[in-house]
Amino acid sequence: MASRTATKDIITLRGSAAIVSEFFGYAANSILYNRGVYPEESFAKVKKYGLPMLLTQDEGVKSFISNLTAQLSEWLESGKLQRIVLVIMSKATGEVLERWNFSIETDKEVVEKGVSREKNDKEIMREIQAIMRQIASSITYLPCLDEPCVFDVLAYTDTDVAVPFTWIESDPKLIANPQMVKLHSFDTKIHKVDTLVSYKNDEWDEA
Amino acid sequence: MILRTPPARKRRAESRPPEEDHTNSPSSNRQQLVIYEDHPVVESSHGHSTPISTDQMLCTYQCRQMVKSEFLDALSSAEKQARDYQSKLEALSDDFSKAEAERKKFRDQFFNAEQELAAAKGREQMLQQQLRKEVDFSQEQLKKQIQSYSELEIKLRNEMDLRKKAESSAAIAEEKTSVLEGKLNTLSESIEREKSRLENELAQMRSGSKLSIDRISADLERMECKAKNAEKESALLKEQLEEIKKRLNECMQEKFEVEKRLSRFTSAEAPSKDADLLVKHLQEELRSYECEVREARKIISSHEKIELLKEKLLEEKGRRERAESDVHKLSDIQLRLKELEDEISTWKSMIKDIPGVSRADDLPLKFGALQKEVYDSMMKAGEAQARLKQVEVALDTTLLDKENAEAEAALAKERAESSRSEIKRLELMIASLTEERKHAVDEMKGCKSLDGGKELVSGTIAQQLESSLAKKDSFIRELESNLSEQRETNRHQLDEIKLLSERLNNEAKRIKMLEREGDRLRSEIAILESKLGHGDFSSANTKVLRMVNTLAVENEAKQTIEALQNELQKTKEKLQAVEDLKKQSPDSGTLVDSYIAGKIKQLKEQIATLEKREERYKTVFADRISVFRRACCELFGYKIVMDDHQRSDGIPVTRFTLHSIYAQSDTEKLEFEYESGNMNFLANEYASHPELSRQVEVFIRKMNSIPAFTANLTVESFNKRTLS
Repeated sequence: MASRTATKDIITLRGSAAIVSEFFGYAANSILYNRGVYPEESFAKVKKYGLPMLLTQDEGVKSFISNLTAQLSEWLESGKLQRIVLVIMSKATGEVLERWNFSIETDKEVVEKGVSREKNDKEIMREIQAIMRQIASSITYLPCLDEPCVFDVLAYTDTDVAVPFTWIESDPKLIANPQMVKLHSFDTKIHKVDTLVSYKNDEWDEA
Repeated sequence: MILRTPPARKRRAESRPPEEDHTNSPSSNRQQLVIYEDHPVVESSHGHSTPISTDQMLCTYQCRQMVKSEFLDALSSAEKQARDYQSKLEALSDDFSKAEAERKKFRDQFFNAEQELAAAKGREQMLQQQLRKEVDFSQEQLKKQIQSYSELEIKLRNEMDLRKKAESSAAIAEEKTSVLEGKLNTLSESIEREKSRLENELAQMRSGSKLSIDRISADLERMECKAKNAEKESALLKEQLEEIKKRLNECMQEKFEVEKRLSRFTSAEAPSKDADLLVKHLQEELRSYECEVREARKIISSHEKIELLKEKLLEEKGRRERAESDVHKLSDIQLRLKELEDEISTWKSMIKDIPGVSRADDLPLKFGALQKEVYDSMMKAGEAQARLKQVEVALDTTLLDKENAEAEAALAKERAESSRSEIKRLELMIASLTEERKHAVDEMKGCKSLDGGKELVSGTIAQQLESSLAKKDSFIRELESNLSEQRETNRHQLDEIKLLSERLNNEAKRIKMLEREGDRLRSEIAILESKLGHGDFSSANTKVLRMVNTLAVENEAKQTIEALQNELQKTKEKLQAVEDLKKQSPDSGTLVDSYIAGKIKQLKEQIATLEKREERYKTVFADRISVFRRACCELFGYKIVMDDHQRSDGIPVTRFTLHSIYAQSDTEKLEFEYESGNMNFLANEYASHPELSRQVEVFIRKMNSIPAFTANLTVESFNKRTLS
């Protein structure tokens, strides 16, 4: 957890970016585990946010997520990240089945003037815990992924952001006429993260 | 015969003795006159069976005879009567029996009737029950019907409302349709105008093309004539040229001879006058020949001109043919023109449907404007939220103010009430004081008149009283002034209360307005949030990046690596086994070595054959690919050069350079870059020409079609090449 000062209620831009990027890493792991994108046995249990969280042990996925969170924290510190989307697609057809949408609102004053904000650490943890619980319980209403799937991460950034080496410009990979479920949000007083999952309409429901 | 007694019938009927009249005495005295002579046996000797009372049989002697006859008469009549009575009795008994029978009959009838009555009652009860049930049922039905009626009434009202709404919407729709019809009319008029304009243009073009064709054909004929003439002329000139050439040769020979002669003469060093003359003559001749040579040269140049003219003629012929083919194409173009007109009209109608767009060029602007609007609305939503919060804060403060004001008003009212009560109290006090004063004044007067001696004492008392009166007066004045002050303050407070209540009303109105606005903004925010949730974004201030995900590929590679590692392990094990075998028996080791050497040789041979085959494949592939390239070049008019290289950031890209076969210089080349399924046009010197950049803008940027661009460019360079 990056630079948090002695009094725990003070939160800086860098600290907030670290919280959000770390949250995204754990959220991505949780989604990949709960949605069965990678096999169950490739995950190991750790304790985080007062919950048992599952982290992938697959080296490839691990390095992918660590590179991703590093890049995300860089963008979060510059205040140029608007949204992160984890897209789950069919491996065979490439059809987009789910979009896990994390909208980020950044306090511009903090980025421009470098001031800090105050929020209790425990409160933030509690908010994140609520989101994690919702992600874990989402399998009850999300349609079954009964085919091999792959995932992709999209970042909605400001247009003046330089495209890093491992990133390319992409289409938004939208789902036509999706079902949407809004999850909890958390706020570090510098970054506000709203979570929403949209998924392809199941044909069984319409019949 | 004197009737002394009333007739027996009467007597008997009245049961009175016949001596009644005889004595003319009252009936109480009659019994005294009765003499008992005859016994009732006499009477019984008559054989009368009729029961006659003893009183009847009593008679005096004098009337005995009379009585007898009378009696007999009476008896006979009585007998008759008895007979009559008997017959009557019989008749009556008959009647009675009849009546009895009748009675029985009637009784039976009565019983029947009773039974019938009971049955009827039962039926009646049943009917009543049924009727009750029916009544209940009908009441229930009635209730239901009333309910349904009320429901229907409600429905009717709803229907009426809906109808009204529908009517209003129909009216709106009619207005809209009228507006649209107006628009349609204007549109159709404009289309017709355009059509007529296009037709006029077409006719003009036709006439122009006809004229140009005529002109071209006339030119052609003229040129043909000219060419024929020129040909003839050239033939003549050729002949002349031949002659002149011959003559020139002759002249040259002569010249040589003359020169030889001259040299001879000069070598002889004895030039004669004749020779000089000859030389002059020859020189003149030479000049004339030179003139001829110049003419001949002119003829040669004219001959070249003729050839040029011939070439031009051929070109003109070609142009004529093209013009003819163009004329054929014109009809096709007209058809296409019509199609295009239709398309244009549909597009126009579509454009008309989009509000605020009058031309096709407005569309991207419109889209931009819409996107801007979305951002603006998002911004507005944010602002509105902020405003909402401000307003909520203001609302809270105003509510607090309101409460304070209400409390103040209540306080003021209480104060007003208290001041009113004080005023009343004061007024009462004043009244009592004035009364007291009056009383005191009266008393003083009384005292003055009563006692002059007591004047001194009373004077002092009076003075005291007067002074106290004056004090009281002043006190009263003070109180009055206080009262007026209190009244004024009351009035002020009332005014204040009124003002505050007005402000309160205004604030309440504002609050309602703000609440409505808040609701509207909330709904807008919800719509925008749903759009955002879907994943929409504006390309003006957002771009979407994707992290290059090679996990799937890596996974496959990992699997192959694992498979290879397994194989390696197996071979290692095998090798180990072989080495073990070798150690155990050296002979077998050498055997194995020789076997391996043989194997290696075999494999090398195999490799050599495979390499040969590869070479052959390569040459065949090169041949085929060159054929393919040539065919592409012939078919599409471009030589394509492919070139792989890496960008500065290390991403591999393929560059394609296209040379048109109609290009007039090597700099005329188009460059494209192919990267992950996308073909991008690269700007270069050639592409920066204004004409070309316009085409790039139209075909590649707007229409997103590279083939259309290259094809158009091919046609244009072909035209340039052939026409120039």
